[in-house]
Amino acid sequence: MAAPAYPAWVTRWVSGQWRNKKRPPALRPPRTLGAAAATCITEMSVMMACWKQNDFNDTPCAEEIRMFYDCVAKAEKERKNQNEDTLSSKGNLPSSKVNKLLKRFPQITRYA
Amino acid sequence: RIMPVRWSRYNPNYLEPEVKKESYQKPLEELTEEEREQMELKAVRPIKAAPPSLSSSVFSDPMISKFTNMMMKSGNKVLARSLMSQTLEAIKRKQLEKYHKAPENEKETIECNPYVIFHQALKNCQPIIGLSNITKGGKTYQVPVPLTDNRKRFLAMKWLITECRENKHRRTLMPEKLCQELLLAFNNEGPIIKKKHVLHKMAEANRAYAHFRWW
Repeated sequence: MAAPAYPAWVTRWVSGQWRNKKRPPALRPPRTLGAAAATCITEMSVMMACWKQNDFNDTPCAEEIRMFYDCVAKAEKERKNQNEDTLSSKGNLPSSKVNKLLKRFPQITRYA
Repeated sequence: RIMPVRWSRYNPNYLEPEVKKESYQKPLEELTEEEREQMELKAVRPIKAAPPSLSSSVFSDPMISKFTNMMMKSGNKVLARSLMSQTLEAIKRKQLEKYHKAPENEKETIECNPYVIFHQALKNCQPIIGLSNITKGGKTYQVPVPLTDNRKRFLAMKWLITECRENKHRRTLMPEKLCQELLLAFNNEGPIIKKKHVLHKMAEANRAYAHFRWW
Protein backbone atom coordinates (compact mmCIF):
# COMPACT_ATOMS: atom_id res chain seq x y z
CA MET A 1 0.00 0.00 0.00
CA ALA A 2 1.67 3.14 -1.23
CA ALA A 3 0.88 6.48 0.47
CA PRO A 4 -2.00 5.32 2.69
CA ALA A 5 -4.73 7.92 2.55
CA TYR A 6 -5.86 8.58 6.08
CA PRO A 7 -8.84 10.80 6.79
CA ALA A 8 -7.97 14.38 7.77
CA TRP A 9 -8.78 13.94 11.47
CA VAL A 10 -6.19 11.17 11.78
CA THR A 11 -3.32 13.43 10.65
CA ARG A 12 -4.57 16.22 12.90
CA TRP A 13 -4.79 13.83 15.84
CA VAL A 14 -1.29 12.49 15.25
CA SER A 15 0.13 15.99 14.98
CA GLY A 16 -1.22 16.71 18.47
CA GLN A 17 -3.67 19.43 17.65
CA TRP A 18 -6.38 17.95 19.84
CA ARG A 19 -4.11 17.86 22.83
CA ASN A 20 -3.96 21.13 24.68
CA LYS A 21 -0.46 22.06 23.56
CA LYS A 22 -1.19 22.93 19.98
CA ARG A 23 -4.36 24.93 20.44
CA PRO A 24 -3.91 28.54 19.27
CA PRO A 25 -4.05 31.13 22.08
CA ALA A 26 -7.47 32.50 22.98
CA LEU A 27 -6.38 36.13 22.45
CA ARG A 28 -3.85 37.81 20.21
CA PRO A 29 -1.98 40.80 21.64
CA PRO A 30 -3.57 44.04 20.40
CA ARG A 31 -1.24 46.17 18.30
CA THR A 32 -1.11 49.33 20.42
CA LEU A 33 1.74 51.87 20.22
CA GLY A 34 4.53 51.80 22.79
CA ALA A 35 3.01 54.77 24.56
CA ALA A 36 4.10 56.02 28.00
CA ALA A 37 7.68 55.14 27.13
CA ALA A 38 10.89 57.17 27.20
CA THR A 39 10.16 59.10 30.40
CA CYS A 40 12.24 62.00 31.74
CA ILE A 41 13.34 63.27 28.33
CA THR A 42 12.64 66.93 29.17
CA GLU A 43 14.72 66.68 32.34
CA MET A 44 17.50 65.02 30.40
CA SER A 45 17.52 67.70 27.69
CA VAL A 46 17.54 70.48 30.30
CA MET A 47 20.50 68.81 32.01
CA MET A 48 22.33 68.42 28.71
CA ALA A 49 21.80 72.08 27.82
CA CYS A 50 23.27 73.02 31.19
CA TRP A 51 26.23 70.73 30.50
CA LYS A 52 26.87 72.32 27.15
CA GLN A 53 27.03 75.76 28.74
CA ASN A 54 29.26 74.73 31.63
CA ASP A 55 31.69 72.45 29.80
CA PHE A 56 30.29 69.24 31.31
CA ASN A 57 31.12 70.18 34.88
CA ASP A 58 28.80 68.73 37.49
CA THR A 59 29.04 71.40 40.17
CA PRO A 60 27.21 74.26 38.39
CA CYS A 61 24.54 71.84 37.11
CA ALA A 62 23.74 70.27 40.47
CA GLU A 63 20.11 71.50 40.46
CA GLU A 64 19.30 70.02 37.02
CA ILE A 65 21.01 66.76 37.90
CA ARG A 66 18.97 66.52 41.09
CA MET A 67 15.75 67.09 39.11
CA PHE A 68 16.76 64.40 36.63
CA TYR A 69 17.41 61.93 39.45
CA ASP A 70 14.03 62.72 41.04
CA CYS A 71 12.27 62.17 37.73
CA VAL A 72 14.06 58.85 37.21
CA ALA A 73 13.16 57.66 40.74
CA LYS A 74 9.49 58.57 40.17
CA ALA A 75 9.39 56.77 36.82
CA GLU A 76 10.95 53.68 38.42
CA LYS A 77 8.34 53.64 41.18
CA GLU A 78 5.49 54.05 38.69
CA ARG A 79 6.78 51.18 36.61
CA LYS A 80 6.94 48.99 39.68
CA ASN A 81 3.36 49.88 40.64
CA GLN A 82 2.16 49.30 37.11
CA ASN A 83 3.50 45.76 36.92
CA GLU A 84 0.68 44.26 38.94
CA ASP A 85 -2.12 41.95 37.91
CA THR A 86 -4.87 44.60 37.99
CA LEU A 87 -6.82 46.10 35.12
CA SER A 88 -4.89 48.27 32.70
CA SER A 89 -6.15 51.62 31.44
CA LYS A 90 -8.64 50.14 28.96
CA GLY A 91 -10.31 47.90 31.52
CA ASN A 92 -8.86 44.68 30.07
CA LEU A 93 -6.07 42.52 31.39
CA PRO A 94 -3.04 42.14 29.10
CA SER A 95 -3.62 39.33 26.64
CA SER A 96 -0.72 37.15 27.82
CA LYS A 97 -2.19 37.04 31.33
CA VAL A 98 -5.65 36.26 29.94
CA ASN A 99 -4.17 33.41 27.90
CA LYS A 100 -2.48 31.94 30.97
CA LEU A 101 -5.65 32.12 33.03
CA LEU A 102 -7.75 30.52 30.31
CA LYS A 103 -5.22 27.71 29.97
CA ARG A 104 -5.36 27.03 33.67
CA PHE A 105 -9.14 26.82 33.69
CA PRO A 106 -10.10 25.44 30.31
CA GLN A 107 -13.63 25.12 28.97
CA ILE A 108 -14.36 21.40 29.00
CA THR A 109 -17.02 20.58 26.47
CA ARG A 110 -16.79 16.77 26.39
CA TYR A 111 -17.47 14.70 29.46
CA ALA A 112 -16.40 11.26 28.41
CA ARG B 1 23.82 18.80 64.18
CA ILE B 2 24.46 20.89 61.05
CA MET B 3 23.85 24.64 61.33
CA PRO B 4 22.58 26.43 58.20
CA VAL B 5 25.40 28.02 56.22
CA ARG B 6 24.75 31.24 54.35
CA TRP B 7 24.01 30.74 50.71
CA SER B 8 21.69 32.74 48.57
CA ARG B 9 18.68 30.41 48.54
CA TYR B 10 16.96 30.88 51.85
CA ASN B 11 13.34 30.33 52.74
CA PRO B 12 11.64 33.73 52.24
CA ASN B 13 10.75 33.70 55.95
CA TYR B 14 14.35 34.35 56.91
CA LEU B 15 15.23 37.96 57.76
CA GLU B 16 18.48 39.86 57.25
CA PRO B 17 20.76 40.19 60.32
CA GLU B 18 21.06 43.65 61.93
CA VAL B 19 24.71 44.39 62.66
CA LYS B 20 24.78 48.02 63.80
CA LYS B 21 25.20 48.37 67.54
CA GLU B 22 23.38 51.71 67.69
CA SER B 23 20.07 50.17 66.73
CA TYR B 24 20.17 47.88 69.79
CA GLN B 25 21.11 50.60 72.25
CA LYS B 26 18.01 52.73 71.68
CA PRO B 27 15.60 52.59 74.61
CA LEU B 28 12.15 51.14 73.94
CA GLU B 29 10.24 54.42 74.06
CA GLU B 30 12.18 56.09 71.27
CA LEU B 31 11.24 53.55 68.64
CA THR B 32 8.55 54.38 66.09
CA GLU B 33 5.59 52.08 65.37
CA GLU B 34 7.28 50.40 62.41
CA GLU B 35 10.42 49.71 64.39
CA ARG B 36 8.40 48.14 67.19
CA GLU B 37 6.66 45.89 64.70
CA GLN B 38 10.00 45.03 63.15
CA MET B 39 11.39 44.01 66.55
CA GLU B 40 8.39 41.82 67.25
CA LEU B 41 8.73 40.20 63.86
CA LYS B 42 12.40 39.50 64.53
CA ALA B 43 11.54 37.70 67.75
CA VAL B 44 9.45 35.18 65.83
CA ARG B 45 11.13 34.71 62.44
CA PRO B 46 14.45 32.96 61.80
CA ILE B 47 17.43 35.06 60.69
CA LYS B 48 19.97 34.41 57.93
CA ALA B 49 23.60 33.78 58.86
CA ALA B 50 25.71 36.93 58.68
CA PRO B 51 28.23 36.85 55.79
CA PRO B 52 31.91 37.06 56.80
CA SER B 53 32.31 40.41 55.02
CA LEU B 54 29.66 42.07 57.19
CA SER B 55 31.13 43.54 60.37
CA SER B 56 29.90 45.82 63.13
CA SER B 57 33.21 47.59 63.73
CA VAL B 58 33.56 51.35 63.28
CA PHE B 59 36.42 50.85 60.86
CA SER B 60 34.51 48.80 58.32
CA ASP B 61 33.07 50.57 55.29
CA PRO B 62 30.89 48.76 52.73
CA MET B 63 32.24 50.83 49.80
CA ILE B 64 35.83 50.11 50.75
CA SER B 65 35.10 46.39 51.08
CA LYS B 66 33.37 46.39 47.69
CA PHE B 67 36.37 48.13 46.16
CA THR B 68 38.80 45.66 47.77
CA ASN B 69 36.75 42.77 46.40
CA MET B 70 36.92 44.25 42.93
CA MET B 71 40.67 44.69 43.21
CA MET B 72 41.12 41.10 44.40
CA LYS B 73 42.65 38.64 41.93
CA SER B 74 42.09 34.87 42.16
CA GLY B 75 40.78 35.05 45.70
CA ASN B 76 43.82 36.71 47.25
CA LYS B 77 41.90 38.87 49.71
CA VAL B 78 44.94 39.33 51.97
CA LEU B 79 46.88 41.04 49.19
CA ALA B 80 43.92 43.15 48.09
CA ARG B 81 43.26 44.35 51.63
CA SER B 82 46.92 45.18 52.23
CA LEU B 83 47.00 47.17 48.96
CA MET B 84 43.89 49.06 50.06
CA SER B 85 45.34 49.93 53.45
CA GLN B 86 48.62 51.01 51.85
CA THR B 87 46.64 53.24 49.46
CA LEU B 88 44.78 54.89 52.32
CA GLU B 89 48.03 55.37 54.21
CA ALA B 90 49.69 56.92 51.15
CA ILE B 91 46.75 59.33 50.71
CA LYS B 92 47.03 60.36 54.36
CA ARG B 93 50.77 60.91 54.06
CA LYS B 94 50.46 63.07 50.96
CA GLN B 95 47.68 65.15 52.43
CA LEU B 96 49.61 65.65 55.69
CA GLU B 97 52.63 66.76 53.72
CA LYS B 98 50.50 69.29 51.87
CA TYR B 99 48.92 70.38 55.14
CA HIS B 100 52.20 71.09 56.89
CA LYS B 101 53.62 72.97 53.93
CA ALA B 102 50.55 75.11 53.37
CA PRO B 103 50.24 78.65 54.80
CA GLU B 104 47.95 79.22 57.78
CA ASN B 105 44.84 80.42 55.94
CA GLU B 106 44.75 77.44 53.58
CA LYS B 107 45.19 74.79 56.25
CA GLU B 108 41.47 74.32 56.79
CA THR B 109 40.68 73.67 53.14
CA ILE B 110 42.99 70.66 52.90
CA GLU B 111 41.11 67.41 53.53
CA CYS B 112 43.18 64.86 55.45
CA ASN B 113 40.71 62.03 56.04
CA PRO B 114 41.45 59.33 53.41
CA TYR B 115 37.93 57.86 53.70
CA VAL B 116 36.35 61.20 52.87
CA ILE B 117 38.71 61.58 49.90
CA PHE B 118 37.88 58.07 48.69
CA HIS B 119 34.14 58.61 48.87
CA GLN B 120 34.25 62.03 47.25
CA ALA B 121 36.54 60.79 44.46
CA LEU B 122 34.21 57.88 43.72
CA LYS B 123 31.23 60.22 43.70
CA ASN B 124 32.98 62.52 41.24
CA CYS B 125 33.77 59.58 38.96
CA GLN B 126 30.21 58.27 38.77
CA PRO B 127 28.59 58.85 35.35
CA ILE B 128 25.07 60.31 35.34
CA ILE B 129 23.65 58.79 32.17
CA GLY B 130 24.92 55.78 30.32
CA LEU B 131 24.55 54.49 26.78
CA SER B 132 22.82 51.26 25.90
CA ASN B 133 22.60 49.41 22.59
CA ILE B 134 19.06 49.30 21.23
CA THR B 135 18.30 47.58 17.92
CA LYS B 136 15.55 49.15 15.87
CA GLY B 137 14.82 48.35 12.26
CA GLY B 138 17.96 46.30 11.83
CA LYS B 139 20.38 48.96 13.08
CA THR B 140 21.84 49.25 16.59
CA TYR B 141 21.82 52.71 18.12
CA GLN B 142 23.56 53.98 21.26
CA VAL B 143 20.71 55.39 23.29
CA PRO B 144 21.23 57.58 26.41
CA VAL B 145 19.67 55.83 29.35
CA PRO B 146 19.53 56.63 33.11
CA LEU B 147 21.65 54.28 35.22
CA THR B 148 20.85 52.75 38.61
CA ASP B 149 22.95 53.64 41.66
CA ASN B 150 24.60 50.24 41.76
CA ARG B 151 25.58 50.48 38.12
CA LYS B 152 27.09 53.95 38.63
CA ARG B 153 29.14 52.81 41.60
CA PHE B 154 30.30 49.74 39.72
CA LEU B 155 31.35 51.76 36.67
CA ALA B 156 33.27 54.29 38.77
CA MET B 157 35.19 51.55 40.61
CA LYS B 158 35.81 49.59 37.42
CA TRP B 159 37.20 52.60 35.60
CA LEU B 160 39.45 53.42 38.54
CA ILE B 161 40.88 49.92 38.75
CA THR B 162 41.43 49.44 35.00
CA GLU B 163 43.05 52.86 34.76
CA CYS B 164 45.46 52.04 37.56
CA ARG B 165 46.29 48.63 36.17
CA GLU B 166 47.01 49.66 32.62
CA ASN B 167 48.30 53.20 32.44
CA LYS B 168 51.19 53.07 34.81
CA HIS B 169 54.95 52.94 34.63
CA ARG B 170 56.38 49.45 35.06
CA ARG B 171 58.02 50.23 38.39
CA THR B 172 55.16 52.06 40.16
CA LEU B 173 53.19 49.98 42.60
CA MET B 174 49.41 49.82 42.71
CA PRO B 175 48.86 51.75 45.99
CA GLU B 176 50.92 54.68 44.74
CA LYS B 177 49.16 54.87 41.40
CA LEU B 178 45.73 54.45 43.03
CA CYS B 179 46.58 57.21 45.49
CA GLN B 180 47.47 59.58 42.64
CA GLU B 181 44.29 58.76 40.74
CA LEU B 182 42.11 59.19 43.81
CA LEU B 183 43.60 62.59 44.60
CA LEU B 184 43.12 63.72 41.00
CA ALA B 185 39.53 62.49 40.98
CA PHE B 186 38.92 64.27 44.28
CA ASN B 187 39.85 67.52 42.53
CA ASN B 188 37.81 66.68 39.41
CA GLU B 189 40.86 66.23 37.21
CA GLY B 190 42.55 63.16 35.81
CA PRO B 191 41.87 60.50 33.16
CA ILE B 192 38.85 58.92 34.84
CA ILE B 193 36.95 62.19 35.00
CA LYS B 194 37.87 62.64 31.34
CA LYS B 195 36.39 59.25 30.55
CA LYS B 196 33.20 60.24 32.35
CA HIS B 197 33.04 63.47 30.34
CA VAL B 198 33.55 61.54 27.10
CA LEU B 199 30.60 59.32 28.01
CA HIS B 200 28.46 62.35 28.77
CA LYS B 201 29.44 63.97 25.48
CA MET B 202 28.46 60.86 23.54
CA ALA B 203 25.14 60.74 25.37
CA GLU B 204 24.59 64.39 24.52
CA ALA B 205 25.42 63.79 20.86
CA ASN B 206 22.95 60.91 20.73
CA ARG B 207 20.17 62.65 22.59
CA ALA B 208 17.95 62.47 19.50
CA TYR B 209 17.70 58.70 19.94
CA ALA B 210 16.41 59.03 23.49
CA HIS B 211 12.87 58.25 22.31
CA PHE B 212 13.90 54.70 21.37
CA ARG B 213 13.84 53.76 25.01
CA TRP B 214 10.70 51.97 26.11
CA TRP B 215 11.31 51.95 29.82
